[in-house]
Amino acid sequence: MKRWTVASYTIVVVFLLVVLVPIAAVVVNSLKVPADIFTPSLKLAFTPTFDNYAKVLGDLHFQTFLMNSTLVALGSTALSLAVGVPAAYALARLPIRGRELWAGGILFTRMVPAVALVVPMYVIFQRTELLGTYFALIAAHTTFNLPIVIWMMRSFFEELPPDLEEAALVDGSGRFGAFWRVALPLTAPGLAATAVLCLLFSWNEFLFALVLSGRDTQTVPIGVASFIGTVSVDWGGSSAAAVLALVPVFLLGLVAQRFLVRGLTFGAVKG
Amino acid sequence: MDTLTRPGPVDSPVRAGPRRRGRHGRRLGYGMLTPSLVVLAVLIILPLAYSLVLSLFSWKLTDLNLPKPFVGFDNYTRILHDATVGRALVNTVIYVVGAISVELVLGFVVAAALFEMTRGRKLANALILLPMIIAPVVTALLWRYLLDPQFGLVTQLSDAVGLPSGIGWFGSSGLALPSLIAVDVWQWTPFVVLVMHAGMLSINEEQFEAARVDGAGHLRILRSIVLPAIVPQILLILLFRTMDTYRIFDTVFVLTKGGPGLSTETIGLYTYRTGFSYFDMGYAMALSVFILLTVLVISAFYIRLLRRREAL
Repeated sequence: MKRWTVASYTIVVVFLLVVLVPIAAVVVNSLKVPADIFTPSLKLAFTPTFDNYAKVLGDLHFQTFLMNSTLVALGSTALSLAVGVPAAYALARLPIRGRELWAGGILFTRMVPAVALVVPMYVIFQRTELLGTYFALIAAHTTFNLPIVIWMMRSFFEELPPDLEEAALVDGSGRFGAFWRVALPLTAPGLAATAVLCLLFSWNEFLFALVLSGRDTQTVPIGVASFIGTVSVDWGGSSAAAVLALVPVFLLGLVAQRFLVRGLTFGAVKG
Repeated sequence: MDTLTRPGPVDSPVRAGPRRRGRHGRRLGYGMLTPSLVVLAVLIILPLAYSLVLSLFSWKLTDLNLPKPFVGFDNYTRILHDATVGRALVNTVIYVVGAISVELVLGFVVAAALFEMTRGRKLANALILLPMIIAPVVTALLWRYLLDPQFGLVTQLSDAVGLPSGIGWFGSSGLALPSLIAVDVWQWTPFVVLVMHAGMLSINEEQFEAARVDGAGHLRILRSIVLPAIVPQILLILLFRTMDTYRIFDTVFVLTKGGPGLSTETIGLYTYRTGFSYFDMGYAMALSVFILLTVLVISAFYIRLLRRREAL
């Protein structure tokens, strides 16, 4: 038995190293001057500098990307929650005909790949002169956030014991009151987790942002990608940009970690 | 919906209560569901319908105001004869099958090891999920740096231990696709680990005890109890990983742009380029429809499997 335990810890530790070292490497890189980065051998002893950050924030206006990402993520999350949470409750609790069919249809919308949507969306937004606006990106990100909200919140509502809402109904509360005053407050942690996951997915999204954003609405992933693919790559600057993109995601991930897998599997795996 | 407007029959007061509540509940239900359906219809169904229609026209974006001739299914027959589509599909299948099989095997080993742990499991869980919350673009940048043939960490390390270094991972037509698969494995094996681990935690403890009483060894327990118990989780992983790897875009776009040559061209990338580099919108729309149809067929197949297993 002991042998297996030792082997297990070894496997997990090695795996964690493979997971963490690349992330640590980019953080270390962001604190190096070019001379310390471009050495043929590994250089661990160096004087840390914040020049890369100063440059990324100063010259490249990276804070505009950060603000754009924040606005788009908040907008899409708010829209998805506003229309998705009531729908989730209806699909979990209310007597709707063909309930499973509706839920299945919504599940299918999650399977629609962004690549299939981005071409027609580009044309539609161009025709309506919405191309390059925040609205275009918020709408695009809602296509993947809304189904997540509906399926995740549905799984939270279904876990709630129905007695509590029935008690509210007996006390003279309406069906909507039971949702608003009883079910919603009780699922507040789930609601928060769902919101965080939407923010996360929106923050990381690349293809819609690449095609539908304009000069003034580009998001963080576009900012990071703009460093790459050019002939001379600014490793220090791109690493600093990557770290700036990482920090909010780590904070969000910390909050949502218990529910992350549930969100990624559409509520099918209980977190 | 017509029951909503039709006046109900006169009931005895005793029956009226619950029935009216049921009817009210139904009306409220549709009322709460409708906004979502409207949003999904406008944002998803409308663009899809639009691409379905425009895929029947020849339309170059470079001449926006010129007439768009109706060409019927020409764009679709073009897909069948397009060698790049064939190559992209082969690459995509290699990517999907390669990435998922490595992720499943590696994921199972790590999940089983994690399951065995008695201490530090929570911390390990928290750290393992880091790659999957990082934006794929950032992941791409990270690996571009690590695998840089001159100054990358992997190069420096393999140099230090005397392994061949200076390999242009993403610049070699033979290695570019495997390298992309490796990046996918790094980012998504954690997902496989966490889902499988969640499945293992729900196995009844008595089953293990019964097996041990029967004298089953460690590997035997893994094979005969743990593996069968997590089949629903495995199917779920297959569904989500297949969907996500099939439409891979971000990391390929950043790391190889489909090259060298066509060695890492994927169907998603080709659609993007058809639309936004060649401005051949009619054909791009047809490719979009093609991707959508294949995704729906694959996901319908998986969802049926899952339903049978009652995992969803």
